[in-house]
Amino acid sequence: MQTSDKPSRILVIGGGFSGLTTAVDAAESGAEVIIVEKNAYLGGRVAQLNKYFPKMCPPVCGLEINFRRIKTNPNVTFHTMAEVTSIAGEPGNYDVTIQVHPRMVNSKCTACNACAEVCPATRSNDFNFGMDTTKAAYLPFNQAFPQHYVIDTKACKKDCGTPCKDACTYGAIDLDMKPETLTLKVNSIVVTTGWNPYDADKIETLGSGKVPNVISNMQMERLAAVNGPTGGAINRPSDGKPVQKIAFVQCAGSRDENHLAFCSYICCMASLKQTLYVREQNPEAEVSIFYIDMRTPGRYEKFLNQIQADQKVTFIKGKVAKIERAKGGDVTVTAEDMLTGDKVEKTFDMVVLATGMEPAGMSHQIPGVNYVEGFAASAAGVYAAGCGRNPMDVSKSAQDATSAALKAIQAGKGR
Amino acid sequence: MSDQIIKPDLKFTEAIIAAGGESLKKCYQCSTCTVVCDVTPDRKPFPRKEMLYAQWGLKDKLLASPDVWLCHQCSDCTAHCPRGAKPGEVLGAVRKMTIQEYSSPSCMGKMVNDAKFAILLFAIPTIIFLFELFIQGHLTNGIPRIPNGQLMSYSLMFPPTAYIDPVFVLTAIFAVVMFYKGVKKYWAAMAANHPEPPRKDVISAVIATIQEILTHSVFEKCGVAKDRSIAHKIVFYSFVGLAITTALAASYIYVFNYNGPYPQTNIVKWIGNVSGIALLVGITMVILNRFKNQEKSGIGSYFDWFFIFIVYGVGLTGMLAQILRLANIPVLGYPMYFAHLVFVFVLFAYAPYSKMAHMVYRTTAMVFAKYSNRS
Repeated sequence: MQTSDKPSRILVIGGGFSGLTTAVDAAESGAEVIIVEKNAYLGGRVAQLNKYFPKMCPPVCGLEINFRRIKTNPNVTFHTMAEVTSIAGEPGNYDVTIQVHPRMVNSKCTACNACAEVCPATRSNDFNFGMDTTKAAYLPFNQAFPQHYVIDTKACKKDCGTPCKDACTYGAIDLDMKPETLTLKVNSIVVTTGWNPYDADKIETLGSGKVPNVISNMQMERLAAVNGPTGGAINRPSDGKPVQKIAFVQCAGSRDENHLAFCSYICCMASLKQTLYVREQNPEAEVSIFYIDMRTPGRYEKFLNQIQADQKVTFIKGKVAKIERAKGGDVTVTAEDMLTGDKVEKTFDMVVLATGMEPAGMSHQIPGVNYVEGFAASAAGVYAAGCGRNPMDVSKSAQDATSAALKAIQAGKGR
Repeated sequence: MSDQIIKPDLKFTEAIIAAGGESLKKCYQCSTCTVVCDVTPDRKPFPRKEMLYAQWGLKDKLLASPDVWLCHQCSDCTAHCPRGAKPGEVLGAVRKMTIQEYSSPSCMGKMVNDAKFAILLFAIPTIIFLFELFIQGHLTNGIPRIPNGQLMSYSLMFPPTAYIDPVFVLTAIFAVVMFYKGVKKYWAAMAANHPEPPRKDVISAVIATIQEILTHSVFEKCGVAKDRSIAHKIVFYSFVGLAITTALAASYIYVFNYNGPYPQTNIVKWIGNVSGIALLVGITMVILNRFKNQEKSGIGSYFDWFFIFIVYGVGLTGMLAQILRLANIPVLGYPMYFAHLVFVFVLFAYAPYSKMAHMVYRTTAMVFAKYSNRS
């Protein structure tokens, strides 16, 4: 381990809320930080959220502040569409290889949309979980940072790029851009790779992917968001009908040894929050929440009490284990109402599965990072923080990220 | 209900765990099991509530309820259980305990369910039949003598009217009396525990139950272990066939005074052989299914396997005894027939305590459930 007066050089893997927090905290205390982000934009899952619980304020607000702190701080550099492919070395001294995928758009882009207007190809919009499409030349979302378009080369077949190249008056489109390999020397590493929504199609009883109008809670976030596929109107996907009767199905994959063996921590709060989206938008709407236990830890209990006071919200103790197609796009849900002890079958306009957090390490592991059951685990020199380490909410991610920043700075200094 | 005092009986909980419900305490009451179950009634469904009763040791609620027998252990619940609590196996353990609870004398129930006593249980009929050989003078220095005769005939070893039928008629009477005592207690316990008025008369409940058994209409709804209903149906109908065979043979002897061995062309032989082969096929399928579904529904306990062993033994020794007789191999044939008698005795004499008793307790529970408008 080296001791030096030079500032620490820290690699942050993942530019979501935890990664941004680590980067800003470390950089503002003098460290040099490099963020490597897989997506074409920073902000991660938080960028896809409509509102935060329990304050019901928009997440973009906090993201904007972090983006500004990054923009104005020369200690932070970042690479989007980039992945860490190898880590070698020891605490205080790491050699890291990074693969940067071609964006096909350079930093001259002003996000004027001229390329998208002429683009002949479309792609499924992964930012909105496939609920709408974008052109192959697209801005990931309206407030994306960096504000640069991307060309989806999978959707853009040969010669398809020519019209947009011609339309761009800034010379921002570079269709010859090649993948790049970068090598970096850093003193310490913080792993903030976050999470993916658990693929509900794997839960055979819950109808996801088979029964129309069964969506995930992350899809619900996009549906309720002003910059989402419906402009914020909570209309069901199959026919655009405004939702009157909706059910939330808790523990869709979580606390289940056949799927995710752990409690994902946020889903109960997320469903309560989404209940408010529905109720605020439609005063006549009826909401049913099927649960095993409502888990609203600590002071979040108050949020639960607030929703429980709403006469139009029904809580049913019993896990849903059967979801079937009903007439006219409706969805039938079966559970045992444990408080009456009878099986109940209810029909809704739309059903939201409270799918859990699958840590990124369950689908992809970075060589050189420690993992325990798919969760990234801290070791000397390589620290894990945020939802890639343990399921948590955004405020806890911020605390976790700050703590990782402190450890990373110390590791760089050789203590 | 609100003023009801719940008395947890943790000894009973431990007993369920010991009886094969090891996973019981993993249950966290989510009720996935009741929803995925295709054979439960919608009103007060099982097995979620049974898992709770079992965790609390609520013996009366479990042992005086028809519900544990409405379960056919399809194992859909076990396959979908998010905690690996295996409700199917827990209810299987409770059914075993129901048989032990109501059968008398209770020491027999313990012996049939304990591998230590297996040899003793087989020794009893062995001694009885050796004694019969002895009084006929077929034992020399304690070693059975192979009967002489132009044509092999097992009636040379044990003349049926004098040596076979008295033993088995007595055994059957014993089993029937013991079953009657057990069922009477079980019915009374269920009636006391379910005071709501019945809406059906017992006769129509019995008729509906018989229809359900003959068609296996509920068993066929099973998901994960679907093949089990087919295997069970084959075994069930082979037993029906063998019962007809026995009745026909008895009528030949006692009504028509016509003694065996009967030619292979005789109807009694046709029914007997078809049923015997079906029994072996069915019980082999039962075993294969158990291995196939092992991961999702468990391999079963000693109680299950002891019964499978007896049924297999009855079928195999019976079939082999006939083949050896037709092949005229007396040195193997006569001992095989002896073994067959031992297995048949074990099947009947211990039926009130072994898994064979499911036939009586399950039927009783099904009748009660229909009688009390439960299913």
